[in-house]
Amino acid sequence: MKAVTVAQLQDFFRAVAVEFDVRVPIALEDGTRALGRLAEGPLALSGGALPGKPLSVFFPQFETELTYRDDSVEVQEARGKPLLVVGLTAQDADCLEFIDRFFAERFRDDVYFSKRAGAVVAVVSGRCGRDGEFLKIAGGKCDFELACDGARFLVVPYSEAGRRLCEAIPGGTEASPQELEGLRRQSDALDGSFADAVRRASQLIRDEKVPEAFWQEIADRCIGCTACNLACPTCTCFDVYDWKCARCVERQRIWDSCQLAGFMREASGHNPLGTQAARVRRRIHHKLAADLQRWGSITCFLCGRCDRVCPTGIGMEAVSREIVRRFA
Amino acid sequence: MKRTLTTCPYCGTGCQFYLVADDGGRLVAVEASTEHPVARGQLCVKGWNAFEFVHHPDRLTEPSVRRNGRLASVPWDEALGLVAAGLQEIGRRHGPDSIAFFSSAKTTNEENYLMMKLARAAFRTNNVDHCARLCHASTVTGLAAMFGSGAMTNSISCTEQADCTLVIGSNTTEQHPLIGTRILRNVVERGAKLIVIDSRAIRLSRFADLHIRARNGTDVALLNAIMHVIIQEGLENRQFIAERTENYEALKRAAADYPPEKAAAICNVPADQIVAAARLFAKADRPMLVYSMGITQHTHGVDNVKSCANLAMLVGGIGRPGTGVNPLRGQNNVQGACDVGALPNVYSGYQKVTDPAVRAKFEKAWGVEGLPAEVGLTMTAAIDAAAQGKLKGLLIMGENPMLSDPDQGHIRKALESLEFLAVIDIFPTATSQLAHVVLPAASFAEKDGTFTSTERRVQRVRKAIEPVGNSRPDWQILCELAARAGYQAMRYDSPKEVMDEIAALTPIYGGITYDRLGPQGLQWPCPDREHPGTAVLHSTAFTRGRGLFFPVHYRPSAELPDEEYPFLLSTGRCYWHFHTGTMTRRSRLLDREERDPYVEVSPQDARKLAIRDGQWVTVSTRRGEVRAVARVTDTVIEGLIFMPFHFEEGAANALTNNALDPECQIPEYKVCAARVRAAP
Repeated sequence: MKAVTVAQLQDFFRAVAVEFDVRVPIALEDGTRALGRLAEGPLALSGGALPGKPLSVFFPQFETELTYRDDSVEVQEARGKPLLVVGLTAQDADCLEFIDRFFAERFRDDVYFSKRAGAVVAVVSGRCGRDGEFLKIAGGKCDFELACDGARFLVVPYSEAGRRLCEAIPGGTEASPQELEGLRRQSDALDGSFADAVRRASQLIRDEKVPEAFWQEIADRCIGCTACNLACPTCTCFDVYDWKCARCVERQRIWDSCQLAGFMREASGHNPLGTQAARVRRRIHHKLAADLQRWGSITCFLCGRCDRVCPTGIGMEAVSREIVRRFA
Repeated sequence: MKRTLTTCPYCGTGCQFYLVADDGGRLVAVEASTEHPVARGQLCVKGWNAFEFVHHPDRLTEPSVRRNGRLASVPWDEALGLVAAGLQEIGRRHGPDSIAFFSSAKTTNEENYLMMKLARAAFRTNNVDHCARLCHASTVTGLAAMFGSGAMTNSISCTEQADCTLVIGSNTTEQHPLIGTRILRNVVERGAKLIVIDSRAIRLSRFADLHIRARNGTDVALLNAIMHVIIQEGLENRQFIAERTENYEALKRAAADYPPEKAAAICNVPADQIVAAARLFAKADRPMLVYSMGITQHTHGVDNVKSCANLAMLVGGIGRPGTGVNPLRGQNNVQGACDVGALPNVYSGYQKVTDPAVRAKFEKAWGVEGLPAEVGLTMTAAIDAAAQGKLKGLLIMGENPMLSDPDQGHIRKALESLEFLAVIDIFPTATSQLAHVVLPAASFAEKDGTFTSTERRVQRVRKAIEPVGNSRPDWQILCELAARAGYQAMRYDSPKEVMDEIAALTPIYGGITYDRLGPQGLQWPCPDREHPGTAVLHSTAFTRGRGLFFPVHYRPSAELPDEEYPFLLSTGRCYWHFHTGTMTRRSRLLDREERDPYVEVSPQDARKLAIRDGQWVTVSTRRGEVRAVARVTDTVIEGLIFMPFHFEEGAANALTNNALDPECQIPEYKVCAARVRAAP
């Protein structure tokens, strides 16, 4: 196994851009980190989970699905080079595994797979989180992993595509399996209280221990900014609508939010999610209870984004901890 | 793929975010800035959706001219020539004050500065104004008289340090969400006290220690009574009063006329709430007052503002972090549009047009002689003058008075009476439909410039994509018009050069240049290039020296409910839409969320009227009648109805009363008499 420096990785990402459309964590002009091309800003592998929904590379906030023009239909299809996406966290990789399943099952979402198919995905982990925080080791669920030991990144391939790329990274020094094992041990020792809170909150919800009044309290603090949904890597809801231009019709899709009254409002005006309390309850129920039945797992994979983007402090971690504190 | 850091085009909070453009130069997302001091990685729903409308197929992409009653596309050169000639011809025939210029709080500082330069230097009139007339004219007048500066005294971050926040006439979590949520968290997480004075049950009232649901338009009586109790109980800040203020005895005499019982009867609230509010606010170490349109949009709006300032000075709540009189400005750049002089009485930096020395300074800088010395027409007065046939030509940039100004019938008559009306906008509007020439402007995403937020923070707006279609940035359009009107000193290669000119002529912006405007901007006053900007005003002395107590007395609103029109109608914005809806109603999720005009009716009144939630009703006043969906809700108290003004097909401003505050000419949007009936 080899270990490489940030500078070596940066050179490699530049070189491999011939073959791939390379998206890596970059620092924008005010220091905000984002998943972008190196031409947009310097590489910023350290800093933890990227603030935005990282899977927007496959499922952007807004895109044109098809265009109807002069009696013909143009459908969005795969174009250009395949994506190389670096900078997911281990939690993000769990999310990606879930939405791959989600978009493939029953109705296969061609728009999603037009970008996802052929993409290579790498997780960044180890001692490179915000303020030196240790990021969980993925140990799989991606094509390769860059595990930071504080100075270098250990390059760990998992898939064939990952292996091919890892071998192509020039330079570096040899790292022992023990070094990776050491990082894994540190990863295993990470604080699990968030995961524990989510598991326990899930159980309390399923046991009907969380009263309606609680959801009204949370709803009182929800301003409906929808950021929890927009940032969540496992939120997959989108709305479809048409823009009529002079000589064409464009069919757009845009990230939707279950925190909006219009999300489920029927043409009659009836709304199964007609109160804000019902909507905030749904946001938590869906991830912690409904998806468990439908998909076999809780679909909050603990990325922490909704807690960071919520202006009033009612993200998944905050709400789960409050449920456990009050109703366990 | 390209990300461009810019400033949100909606409210005055001033959040910054990145516009994300795809490889085809089309905007596809908004990403919040995690490093910006206000946004901190967060936005409201409008901010997260602030990219989509930019490419909406309704965008105006070609200049057009009215021919045979219809707008037809023409080349830019022809359209610009027609506008310049149209206004010049009227000026020649009827004098320069027969034309007026409506600037825009949605456009940049540079563009507002150029609009006032165009009006004053090229067309020789001070008839230039913008929608601050309709929102915070009362603040600019009231606070300038008492403090010497008409702006928010403190910074947004101060809302997290207040010990007791008094929110009066501001639905902060809906209208300034990233400020409202700070107030909310300060209560929930820090245990700060909160007093909400609002007839509507707003979100913040759910967290308030006291929610005083005073009848609309009775704020002066209520605030005087609160001050009465503070003085009676000896809770006033004597040291602050003695060291920092003047005219206290006059205030004391005025407040003496308002025992809580008297105010309670006027305001229709329990007297003990007034006493409790007085104690809570006066005993706080860091009392903060936050207000917005509920204070300003009255025929006694200036008096309301003065009452707020009196109260803050009485308890010494000025000049320190966590305190202050904090008027929240409603539009992205309404603060800046005022700052750079898009007002009929001042040049940039509030330098008076009536001051010969000031005029001489601008004459020299602009290379002209004989700048007009008389104060120009306000927007509301200009509309009246147009209706009377006295004003004959009007250039409107980025405003939609047909929906935003009071008494739509009156506005229509005024605009239709004009000999020449030109409109610059990004979308067709009810106003552009009446224009003789319409010029397509570039949106905020397609140009460079600056906006100044409610906390006086001057921030960059950056070009993320090329102008859509054949549209052009407003600053270029204004410069072209000046040149065609024969004024050659309005030529700039970029907005940066305009800001350099503003800085050279405007003491409060003296240190502001693009190279200093980093990601966090600069808060004015910023008088020189070494100055770091000012987070809290009046910290050691008021701008005018001592704070002036200004006693005021309660006056009823211009039109109160009666037998024929038994309801009190109040108007405002909802969370999902912005002003006349030109952008938010072209944003999918925002439009879907609130699609129809609606009117809030209390459950008690709905029962009496036999109307159900969701039913179409007609709302009428002495000015007009519109259809709206009834929203039966205890958000409003019995006897009160509320309508947002976003909807052309159910225009609240077809109903509102064009009664003006005599001092600042703001209309009374918050009170008029109305009737509700089930729609036929």
